[in-house]
Amino acid sequence: MKDKIKWETEMDGALARARSEKKHVLLDFFNPG
Amino acid sequence: MDAVTYPDSKVVNFINENLIPLQVQFDAQPLASDFHIKWTPTLITLDADGREHHRTVGYLAPDEMIPSLLLGMGKSCFENERFDEATTYLEKILADYPKSDSAPEALYLRGVCRYKNTHDPKPLKEAYEQLRDEYPSNEWTKRAYPYRLL
Repeated sequence: MKDKIKWETEMDGALARARSEKKHVLLDFFNPG
Repeated sequence: MDAVTYPDSKVVNFINENLIPLQVQFDAQPLASDFHIKWTPTLITLDADGREHHRTVGYLAPDEMIPSLLLGMGKSCFENERFDEATTYLEKILADYPKSDSAPEALYLRGVCRYKNTHDPKPLKEAYEQLRDEYPSNEWTKRAYPYRLL
């Protein structure tokens, strides 16, 4: 199975991971159409 | 983005290995208001404190996506005064994606990082000269134009 981007869906969780893993956050505002 | 760029294996691997990807709907509150979202796709690079450092609006092809993300990470480090780390990201753009739309800004910003580290103006002049030679009509070449006099 092809890999996919493992999106977070909540800002607080993303920032907690960013601090823990010392990474930046890519925030994508999308239109589901 | 979902049809072409996000399924691209290089993009998937880069994002999963180097960033925390967060996807929210364009009208999700309070984030949509906090970030003044008016169009999609809007992609924003945040530091771990949630501060914005880089934004693109509109579609990015796979071969522009990774250098744009590297530029966002580099700008975040630059604006947090981590100049060596910023330089590493910027040099990755120049080495691996020299024809990308992000490359001229990366070249400009690398010169600024080098200046910030040394207080020697020579890297600023070198940045202008390289921009003039490699990207003669780019906006970042125009922004660097005064450095020719250093």
